[in-house]
Amino acid sequence: MATTSAAVKVIPAPEPVPQPFAIKKAPTVLLTVHSFPTMEPVRFDQVASTFLHAPLRRDILHRAVIFEGDAHRLGRAKTKYRHEVRGSTRKIRPQKGTGQARLGDKKSPMLRGGGVAHGPKPRDFSTGLQRKVYDLAWRTALSYRYRRGELVVVDGSLDLQEADPGLANTIVQRYGWGKQSGRSLFVTNEPRENLANALEELEEDARVLTKFEIDVKDMLETGRVIIEREALAWLEKEHGLGVN
Amino acid sequence: MKPLFTILPRFAVARPVANPTFRLAQCLAQQQQVRAASILGNLSDIPAAYNKRIRRGRGPSSGKGKTSGRGHKGQKQHGKVPAGFNGGQTPDEIVKGKRGFTNKFAVEMSSLNLDTLQKWLDDGRIDPKNPITLKELLDSRAVHGIKDGVKLLGRGAESFTHPINIEVSRASASAIAAIEAAGGKVTTRYFTKDSIRRFTKPHLYADEDGVIPEFKLPDASSRWDLEYYRDPAHRGYLSDQVRKGQSPSLFFKSLKQPKVKGKAENKASMQKQKAEKAANRLF
Repeated sequence: MATTSAAVKVIPAPEPVPQPFAIKKAPTVLLTVHSFPTMEPVRFDQVASTFLHAPLRRDILHRAVIFEGDAHRLGRAKTKYRHEVRGSTRKIRPQKGTGQARLGDKKSPMLRGGGVAHGPKPRDFSTGLQRKVYDLAWRTALSYRYRRGELVVVDGSLDLQEADPGLANTIVQRYGWGKQSGRSLFVTNEPRENLANALEELEEDARVLTKFEIDVKDMLETGRVIIEREALAWLEKEHGLGVN
Repeated sequence: MKPLFTILPRFAVARPVANPTFRLAQCLAQQQQVRAASILGNLSDIPAAYNKRIRRGRGPSSGKGKTSGRGHKGQKQHGKVPAGFNGGQTPDEIVKGKRGFTNKFAVEMSSLNLDTLQKWLDDGRIDPKNPITLKELLDSRAVHGIKDGVKLLGRGAESFTHPINIEVSRASASAIAAIEAAGGKVTTRYFTKDSIRRFTKPHLYADEDGVIPEFKLPDASSRWDLEYYRDPAHRGYLSDQVRKGQSPSLFFKSLKQPKVKGKAENKASMQKQKAEKAANRLF
């Protein structure tokens, strides 16, 4: 019964016709990596265009920022309903014959010291966002920073020799990373205590976060993002297109 | 005093080269004074994502004027009525009871028909040289999401031509016949929901270093599954456990094969029986 047809012809998919006027995008872009704190350019890295040269999508960024804002909202407002208020359930006075209004226990919402009838209860405000959309928001945010030259990538560690606020201030002021030019965010691969302690008093000029603590909004908030190369590589692994 | 570090006037930043307009904008930006304004104040979803608020009770031309979409009179107009409330009578759910049930043991097989498979193979979307498993089927989108397994069905069986080696959860008799007629091979294998996920999306189980730990597919354990995959008619992966003439059933013993008699011997015994009957005949 077996009629083996060995020569099964596989039809290849037709090659895409080159569009004469389509803008061809290079598959990679160049990323300058600096030494810290001298900020000398050390080398150029090739990074996927999908990661650092993605088109600006304000709607995707908006959805991600709203998603994060909802997730961060605590919703801890809480009042006690009448059964949660401490106290006896004894009837305050007889049902009839006093000439007064009918009353049950003293925890009634109508009475002072009673429960709250329709007060706030703890709520969860978090909303959902598709993982692929959120990943795209990350790439969009970083690409936006990169195109504007506001993504400063540092080779190795962003840490200082010692927790010296004066030294930190000198660095921030010299490179124009301070309050006048919209503050800076330092993103480190792991906790850098000296840098964090040195910048503790310079809250208005800069903030320090590890790669685990940042979100899309942080990427957009400050005047520039100064990030360790390793942390950026981690972000690409987490949110880049090559992961799936 | 020696300076702690060398200070460069400006640090270089690589920007996308093939974008002259951007360079121009950068030059202009350097000349003009630009405020460091965050993009955060200028974000918005696309206009289609927002709905215009319905203004109720604002005149007849609004479409939600007069009664504001609440109809006439009663509790429904003035407040809210509890769900399932039937005007103070015994609720419907109690009077008439609940109907139906959810079978939590039901399996939902994704069906894959032979005409689809033929087309995918023709178009080169699946490589016929390598074994075709659930992963290849899902990756090539021949099936869209697998819940409990994939069942191969025989639609388009008459025009199936590829000699393929395919492994699925179940297969219909006509599909098996068509693939084997084309010189191919079908194996049915037991999968659980979790094992399908591990099998089709192994990258989700990689550890921090990206190494995917070894994973052994679980075997069938329930009686129904064992009997299905032991059955050679289903081309089950356990069918080699069943000896020739033995039943795949775990409960019923296989019937003893009747002894096949020779043709002449058979004929003689028939004649003998006939003669005995004739001798005993009374009238």
